[in-house]
Amino acid sequence: MKRINTVEELESRRDTLLQEQDSDTLTVTLCGGTGCRASGADPVMDALQQQLKEKGLQDRVSVQVTGCHGFCEQGPIMVIDPENTLYCQVTENDVPEIVEKTIENGEKVDRLLYRDPVSDEMIEKEADIPFYKAQDRVLLGDNRRLTPGNIDDYIANGGYAALGQVLNRMTPEEVIGEIKNADLRGRGGGGFPAARKWETCRDTPSAHKYVICNADEGDPGAYMDRSILEGNPHAVIEGMIIGAYAVGAQYGYIYVRKEYPLAVSHTEQAVKQAREAGVLGENILGSGFSFDVEIARGAGAFVCGESTALMASVEGKVGEPRPKDVHTVEAGLWNCPTTLNNVETWVNVPHIMNKGANWFASKGNESSKGTKIFALTGQVKNTGLVEVDMGTSLNDIIYKIGGGPHNGARIKAVQTGGPSGGCLPENKFDLPVDFDALTEAGSMVGSGGMVVLDENTCMVDVAKYFLNFLQEESCGKCVPCRVGIGRMLEILTDITEGNGKPEDLDVLEQLAWTISETSLCALGKTAPNPVVSTLMYFREEYEKHIRDHQCSAGVCRNLVEYRIDPDRCTGCGACLKACPHGAVEGEKKQVHTIKQDLCEKCGICKNVCKFDAISVQ
Amino acid sequence: MCPESVEQVLTRYNDSRRCLVEVLQDIQDREGYLPEEAIRRVAERLDVPLIEVYRVANFYKSFTLRPRGKHVLTVCKGTACHVRGADRLLDELRGQLQIESGETTEDGQFTVEAVNCVGACALGPVVVVDGEYHGHMTPHKLRGLVASLQES
Amino acid sequence: MEKRVNITIDGVHIRAPEHTSVLDTAIEFGICIPHLCHYPGVPDIGACRLCIVENVVRGKPRVTTSCTLKVREGMEIHTNTDRIQQLRKNVAEMLVAEAPNSKAVQDVAVRCGVTDVPYKFHNEECVLCGRCVRVCNDVWQAKALGFVGRGRDRHVAFPFEKKPDFCKHCESCVDLCPMNRTPCPGPMKKGEEFVCGQCESQLSMAEDVDDSCVWCRLGDGFGCTRKVQAQ
Repeated sequence: MKRINTVEELESRRDTLLQEQDSDTLTVTLCGGTGCRASGADPVMDALQQQLKEKGLQDRVSVQVTGCHGFCEQGPIMVIDPENTLYCQVTENDVPEIVEKTIENGEKVDRLLYRDPVSDEMIEKEADIPFYKAQDRVLLGDNRRLTPGNIDDYIANGGYAALGQVLNRMTPEEVIGEIKNADLRGRGGGGFPAARKWETCRDTPSAHKYVICNADEGDPGAYMDRSILEGNPHAVIEGMIIGAYAVGAQYGYIYVRKEYPLAVSHTEQAVKQAREAGVLGENILGSGFSFDVEIARGAGAFVCGESTALMASVEGKVGEPRPKDVHTVEAGLWNCPTTLNNVETWVNVPHIMNKGANWFASKGNESSKGTKIFALTGQVKNTGLVEVDMGTSLNDIIYKIGGGPHNGARIKAVQTGGPSGGCLPENKFDLPVDFDALTEAGSMVGSGGMVVLDENTCMVDVAKYFLNFLQEESCGKCVPCRVGIGRMLEILTDITEGNGKPEDLDVLEQLAWTISETSLCALGKTAPNPVVSTLMYFREEYEKHIRDHQCSAGVCRNLVEYRIDPDRCTGCGACLKACPHGAVEGEKKQVHTIKQDLCEKCGICKNVCKFDAISVQ
Repeated sequence: MCPESVEQVLTRYNDSRRCLVEVLQDIQDREGYLPEEAIRRVAERLDVPLIEVYRVANFYKSFTLRPRGKHVLTVCKGTACHVRGADRLLDELRGQLQIESGETTEDGQFTVEAVNCVGACALGPVVVVDGEYHGHMTPHKLRGLVASLQES
Repeated sequence: MEKRVNITIDGVHIRAPEHTSVLDTAIEFGICIPHLCHYPGVPDIGACRLCIVENVVRGKPRVTTSCTLKVREGMEIHTNTDRIQQLRKNVAEMLVAEAPNSKAVQDVAVRCGVTDVPYKFHNEECVLCGRCVRVCNDVWQAKALGFVGRGRDRHVAFPFEKKPDFCKHCESCVDLCPMNRTPCPGPMKKGEEFVCGQCESQLSMAEDVDDSCVWCRLGDGFGCTRKVQAQ
């Protein structure tokens, strides 16, 4: 690749690339995100290439594999342009038909079109699908247009223009001023104003400064950072270079989980290309400014999402947090001033530089500007990544975009913010999703996990689930977090096993307060949130477990019993075969029974019974 | 274990103290686990106290100090997978293989692991089999998967 | 001469040597802040959380451990507000329920106002204060011990759980351990744990003592060097 030496050269490179593009060419775009790959995108790709070759169409049709489009539920996703036809759940066997009908003859393959579960209508164009229509895909939209890690693609799409403009025309102070005017708040969790971090870091004198991109994304139920890094790594790098210029850093790290191998390899590729192109490394675009980044692979520790723990991990140490009486912007990595932002925060930076602070601030509401990506998962029809303006209501996200309940059951709550967040009940669904409103309601935006829970979910079990997670993930250094979470879990376990006492709820509240006030780091300080929020909104569920030893959702195993209704059982043997614990007995064509002493109450038998003969009591 | 591999990994990272976590990852990728002599050698060459390397190897979840089975079944326990019944998958594996998560079958064929989130939440519940993602998993499908691995 | 900064602790103006911790300063000036993981001369990590205080930053009192908080010019510290007392008592409850076997832990818990605990007793042999780890690593530089594992698996161990040949056999780890430094005279058996409250440290619970150092015996358990009464 030829090195780009000036901003002018960058612009002429962009012009050349754009001229080479032809918008009339038939383009097949396949989503190559982890979701679609898990659903079988790779064989579809192979079949497509082979078919095109066989039919001699490879010159007429351009094929692109991009990062995650977000509509993971319907994957593998294929979009054919310029018609904008979207096919979902495509398999390799569908490919010959697609090539023959759509590519050669411009006809649609109806059975592969998206069928709106609400109206049952068939929708031809990607842009008309309600899931996409109700979104504002500023950041995710690029994923759909780019071959990940390909710098030419990124440049043709307007990439590195923001960097050129910053280096050519702006002082570091002006960059920080623009971020401040945009009121960009950190997307990783707390929503701390990015400009304040940058400013302090810039003002702290030091020979060495660092910027870090946090792509650890340890929250269970969240994967937006993964998708951005997989689909558009150059945007993250561009954001970091601009940030480094603003704070005066010479070196940066992208801290990404080893569990995200695709994100790691795409980012590695992007870094290499960026260096070769001269937008990263020594004397960037001839400006005299030098900056380089390195990828640091995390090895699996939720606590490394905490800034001091993350920095310890980047240094190759155990990821234990330290007290933050001195902030990391003053003394972070190797005790040097360090600006740490999350993936989504960094990606917003080039957009703000390109379109201006006013454009950014025009999106969102009073308290939170811009857009936010959420990982919408759980018991909802359309799971996937959704990007909306800050301030959009939970209702809109869950019903308009998510399409409502997954299998007819009533939605009763949504869990936001991961283990540090909380559960909000249905009567709070008109709340605007912004940093302050959710925090006030007892949850938080967090990094953007949004798990929809329905009436088959037990809220005490959800709280227990998160405590169990946090107990494993706590570093164990300080007493309130290590011992306190363990004690809360002990009490919740008693409750879910029918051994709860009325006074337990007071003890839980006292523990929650102590842990949140006295823990060393943010993991501990926010750990009680799942319990506090469920106690606040679903107290009667706790009381029912304690008083009546009942779990209405039928989830808590010690409080339920599975029974086979002899009138309904046909003796088909499905449950007997399915039970992993050997707890079902019965002769073929005879009524089956469950041996309660062997039954582990997993409910697998109930799920496979076609005659509705198994009930939970 | 072939002793050269540890040396090669260390050389690739220029004996950089910062890269301790990455060095251990690469060794684990090659060996399937972190052998004691490898940890000792890493400590020696990076000039890091042995206890530090041992601590790092024990702190991060993806490291294991014991050899793993031929096939590694990773059940995702992320929130989305949890509310869609990930526990039942662990039940199924416990029933089929008679091991708890974190353990390896006696014949060394299977290791079952439960991890906190593999970031494929929309496809939950997810099981990763030897690095390959399987979404919308059910106990029934999982039984078939285990059976096909047993035959192979 | 050593540079000093002006701070107030519980309304008392103090000129504290720069770079010292609030806890060390408080102890130096005879203001008693309960502590367990702190040991004089050994770097602090803020593990036990008993030495929490309120540090008033821009008008807002923030709870933080005094052992890890360095004094800064103009700092305002409160060691004994209602909130701190309650929180400290709650933390002490957690600790004593983990290790009722240790007189040191019983001592400090009773002194923090604990009379009973709302949890099942665990009877652990280690509270992970880390005095042994720090004295081994930071003071003697032997680096034979460390915290291994995380969450509920965290424990103090040698590399590969075997005593290494580079251990200097200084026994400091044993000497500093609050679990065996002052074992309870009637060690509790599993299942029979309780908060006995019979330790001498009860004295310190008296509200009206003449001096700020109450000779609480707690000091012995912790190797406290504070033997000088203030003023």
